Amino acid sequence: MTKKLTIKRKVKEPEPQNEAPDSHESSDNEEEEEDLLQAVKDPGEDSTDDEGIDQEYQTDSSEDLEFESDEEGNYLGRKGAEGSSGDDDEESAEDEEEEDDADAKKSSKNNDEEAATTSKSIKKSQEKPTSSNKVVPVVPARDPSKVEYADSDTSDEEDIRNTVGNIPMHWYDEYKHIGYDWDAKKIVKPPKGDQIDDFLRKIEDPNFWRTVKDPLTGQEVLLTDADIALIKRINSGRIPNEEHDEYAPWIEWFTSEVEKMPIKNVPDHKRSFLPSGSEKKTVSRMVHALKMGWMKTTEEVQREKQEKRGPKFYMLWETDTSREQMRRIHDPVSAPKRDLPGHAESYNPPPEYLFDEKEAKEWHKLKDEPHRRKLHFMPQKFKSLREVPAYSRYLRERFLRCLDLYLCPRAKRVKLNIDAEYLIPKLPSPRDLQPFPTVESLVYRGHTDLVRSVSVEPKGEYLVSGSDDKTVKIWEIATGRCIRTIETEDVVRCVAWCPNAKLSIIAVATGSRLLLVNPKVGDKLLVKKTDDLLAEAPVLDVIENERIKTAVQWANAEPADQEKGVRVIITHFKPIRQVTWHGRGDYLATVMPEGANRSALIHQLSKRRSQIPFSKSKGLIQCVLFHPVKPCFFVATQHNIRIYDLVKQELIKKLLTNSKWISGMSIHPKGDNLLVSTYDKKMLWFDLDLSTKPYQTMRLHRNAVRSVAFHLRYPLFASGSDDQAVIVSHGMVYNDLLQNPLIVPLKKLQTHEKREEFGVLDVNWHPVQPWVFSTGADCTIRLFT
Amino acid sequence: MDVDNGEGQVQVHLKTKQEHYAVPDVPYAIDGTVTTAELNTFVNALLLSKGSSAVDFDFLVFDEYLRGRLCDHLREKAISFEDAIEIEYVERFPAPEPQDCLLHDDWVSAVKASGKWILTGCYDNTLNIWTNKGKHILTIPGHTAPIKAVDWISLDDDTGRFVSSSQDQTAMLWQWNVGANTVECVSVCKGHERGVDSVSVSPDGQRFATGSWDTMLKVWSAELEDAGEGTSKRMKESGVRTPKITLQGHRESISAVQWMDASTLLTGSWDHTLKVWDLSLEGIKAEISTNKSIFDASYSKLNHLILTASADKNLRLYDSRTNQGSVVRNTYLGHNAWVQTVMWSTTEEFLFVSGSYDNQNKLWDCRSPKAPLYDLLGHGEKVLDIDWTNPKYIVSGGSDNTVRVFKSRKALVENMDTK
Repeated sequence: MTKKLTIKRKVKEPEPQNEAPDSHESSDNEEEEEDLLQAVKDPGEDSTDDEGIDQEYQTDSSEDLEFESDEEGNYLGRKGAEGSSGDDDEESAEDEEEEDDADAKKSSKNNDEEAATTSKSIKKSQEKPTSSNKVVPVVPARDPSKVEYADSDTSDEEDIRNTVGNIPMHWYDEYKHIGYDWDAKKIVKPPKGDQIDDFLRKIEDPNFWRTVKDPLTGQEVLLTDADIALIKRINSGRIPNEEHDEYAPWIEWFTSEVEKMPIKNVPDHKRSFLPSGSEKKTVSRMVHALKMGWMKTTEEVQREKQEKRGPKFYMLWETDTSREQMRRIHDPVSAPKRDLPGHAESYNPPPEYLFDEKEAKEWHKLKDEPHRRKLHFMPQKFKSLREVPAYSRYLRERFLRCLDLYLCPRAKRVKLNIDAEYLIPKLPSPRDLQPFPTVESLVYRGHTDLVRSVSVEPKGEYLVSGSDDKTVKIWEIATGRCIRTIETEDVVRCVAWCPNAKLSIIAVATGSRLLLVNPKVGDKLLVKKTDDLLAEAPVLDVIENERIKTAVQWANAEPADQEKGVRVIITHFKPIRQVTWHGRGDYLATVMPEGANRSALIHQLSKRRSQIPFSKSKGLIQCVLFHPVKPCFFVATQHNIRIYDLVKQELIKKLLTNSKWISGMSIHPKGDNLLVSTYDKKMLWFDLDLSTKPYQTMRLHRNAVRSVAFHLRYPLFASGSDDQAVIVSHGMVYNDLLQNPLIVPLKKLQTHEKREEFGVLDVNWHPVQPWVFSTGADCTIRLFT
Repeated sequence: MDVDNGEGQVQVHLKTKQEHYAVPDVPYAIDGTVTTAELNTFVNALLLSKGSSAVDFDFLVFDEYLRGRLCDHLREKAISFEDAIEIEYVERFPAPEPQDCLLHDDWVSAVKASGKWILTGCYDNTLNIWTNKGKHILTIPGHTAPIKAVDWISLDDDTGRFVSSSQDQTAMLWQWNVGANTVECVSVCKGHERGVDSVSVSPDGQRFATGSWDTMLKVWSAELEDAGEGTSKRMKESGVRTPKITLQGHRESISAVQWMDASTLLTGSWDHTLKVWDLSLEGIKAEISTNKSIFDASYSKLNHLILTASADKNLRLYDSRTNQGSVVRNTYLGHNAWVQTVMWSTTEEFLFVSGSYDNQNKLWDCRSPKAPLYDLLGHGEKVLDIDWTNPKYIVSGGSDNTVRVFKSRKALVENMDTK
């Protein structure tokens, strides 16, 4: 390397060497100088593009300054080179001159004459600084490497003076020339003196000893002192660079000392001292796989490959149904490649690719079978790519792709579209359930205060009503005629016509007295018979219990009362709220809510005897009811209903109403279904065979339900409420035990007027006709048919 | 759609059964939107050429009164507009005019007119006889409970006989000496176990039938001397009669009884049935079941149809000759409450009157089901009974304690004619 370096220098040095004389004799040899500059510039031209532009500037004479500033760097570099090689020999100058000539010729070829002249003028302007630089050579600016490479340190350029190339020069020994220059002119060997000349020169020339012959050019080169020094240093085996200080102090870039404190205060990570878990896992997995034979060692793989390379056989004639399937799984046929996009896909397709009207129509027509379209899209034309809109289905398709990725089932989930109507039980139309009351037909007016209770004669010709105006009125149903008015001493809370058609008795609960009244309507014979029956008290053979005696006293009515029709008076110890008959008309039960343990009583008419069925009351008794056929007794307290067997004298069942306050109840004539009305707006239907809980809860009313009643013959029931409405419903009970009762609300009859929060107080059915009677706080009784 | 769509002209033939109003039988093209009033002026204009005075006509198109526009009527009946339509016109029945108001002490539940007398039964247990001029003749006490029905047996200038039934379970046979103005109870018919709601005397005046709340139909002799066998002498002396025939069949109270002919009875009951009884067989001849309780039924000897008043607002027309159960021939809508009583005209084939709990009497033509001919206003309360036995007078009693007498104009006209 060092040798090469030296050679380079040798070669290069002559260039700057002859510049010094150039500057001295610049006046007469301007052209040469200019050429030199060119030569200097040339290598720069190659390295940067700017150089080319600079050349253009050169042609443009106006912008001198810019050029200067641009060029300065290179230029300075050159000057430095000049400076460094300050001492030049004449010989070398001569050589240089020759060389310059060749350069000038070359440049003249490249550049026009004008360009040359302009550059001349530039040169002139630059001369001054150069000369000044010369006086004070800028040594530190000199960068040896830069000079070397700026001179384009290549082997080709080394010998630009001789173009013969790298050949043994002795081939030219026989010729007068030693090679060819760039212009293909022969480089003539310098005249070679004979040995005498050499000798003379040896004697004459003090520098002879330092003159070397350049084998390429045949020129003689004078070695400088520096060169000689260098050579000497090399010969003596020292470092060629003089300036290199072998004993310079050692700079320890990477310290060998161990630091006492760590540079960073972070403890080492755990993984730096623990064996890697994942690696272990991987290894163990691999070991396991090897054990199980899933994985094979390289040798095994090799062996198998070897085996595979042997001849392959396959079944030629095997049915290929199953095999084919397996084959498909194992070596699937890759999907065909899609066609490359054509012109139609372009954002700006040629007009012939755009759909005309007919094509567009056809394309749209095949909307349902898109596979039959020629193109799966419609070519669209946009003026520029910028105007192409975003892909509208991007989100959708991305979403579907996501679904694909997590194997989402694509089958559309079947949403159950259930019509709300469908969930409603199929009830027959009210029209099919006729007859039932639909209109108000008659209003029975005459009472002067709210009418509490109504009851119908078993034959259905007459009606009895009890009112807060302390009267009981008997009405003819068909005409609305009040036949008789019986005045009592207290508010009439309840009236009940004896259900036995063979008796003509009305039980009237007024205050704490229970009156048995003969209405004196209907069959005269019956009236008389009833009178006879009630006239005489039977002789009691049983001594009355003290508890009963204090509670109830039987008495025949006074003559004044007899006149009015009152036959027997049963005086209770507390006000009576309700009275109800047993179906045969011999027994009747009364309720005194304030009676504590004796609040329910059962009276026997024929024996004029009273009983207290319960020694202890389980709650505040609201109403009682006889079963129509069985010897059962229903007792409703505020919350629950208890059913007692009167013969066995025991509790049969307890019905849970889950309501706050029971207001009334009515039993289906067949005896298996019980209807309960409550003050909390509900009606409860109990199927006694089914459960102790309501079979159905009806919230038809908007206010407290006061009364309910079953029709004796028709499958109807009615309810009266404080919202002034009477609601008629169909309540069919089937003989088939498997079939549940059918309940259909039919009609809301709202003609009663509201008086002080009270609406309808009592409802009752006509025993034969589908007619319902309701009594209201508006002092009327209304008949709906 | 255009409201005034009369669909152009309709070809009509005008016909009449009244000869003196006949017009030439020429087809006329009449606009479809024509109404009764316009037709009336048209016919009158035609008749004017014959020199008669203006008469009001009613027009029958396919057996029904024209009440609105002709086109609507045709559309309702689904008759083609292209056919030639026959319009029959009849002289309009003149409006009855209220004549008198007979004041009673209590509800009047039964009225019957005969000749110039009006017999009424009252809720105060009395019978009253009035002249049709409004003069009170007699008050007859005797019953012990409200009277429910009355009927005349015979009436001549000297004596009148009538029967009354009451809620006291009896019917009473009375003989009235007109001259002396005295009434004698011929006999008391006992046998019913509950109130007797209806009574009807046979056309020959020999027997009468009663229907009662005890569901029994009983037929009694209406003769002065009950020649029935098995009646004890003591009973004869006491004037107590026993029924000749007792018919059981109804399940509820019998509310209406009427003789159809000498041996056939029609009954209507609360058990929703009409029954036709054959007295010679003492059994049921025909039965028509309806779906409402029947309050009153009336049979017309002129057209043999049965009208019923039942527990709703409608009157219904039945034909007992068809055996197809409850075939309602027609329904007459117009009342606003229960119709309590109905009666055919004894002289006019198509006319009948009805009394209702909406305080109105109505005069109907059975060919006009949508609307009555006339509303007879006057009662202030429920109408309980109506009678049109005397063609001149429509008499009705109600719970406003009055009997209203309406004079039928036709009767007036005929009276004038006879005079």
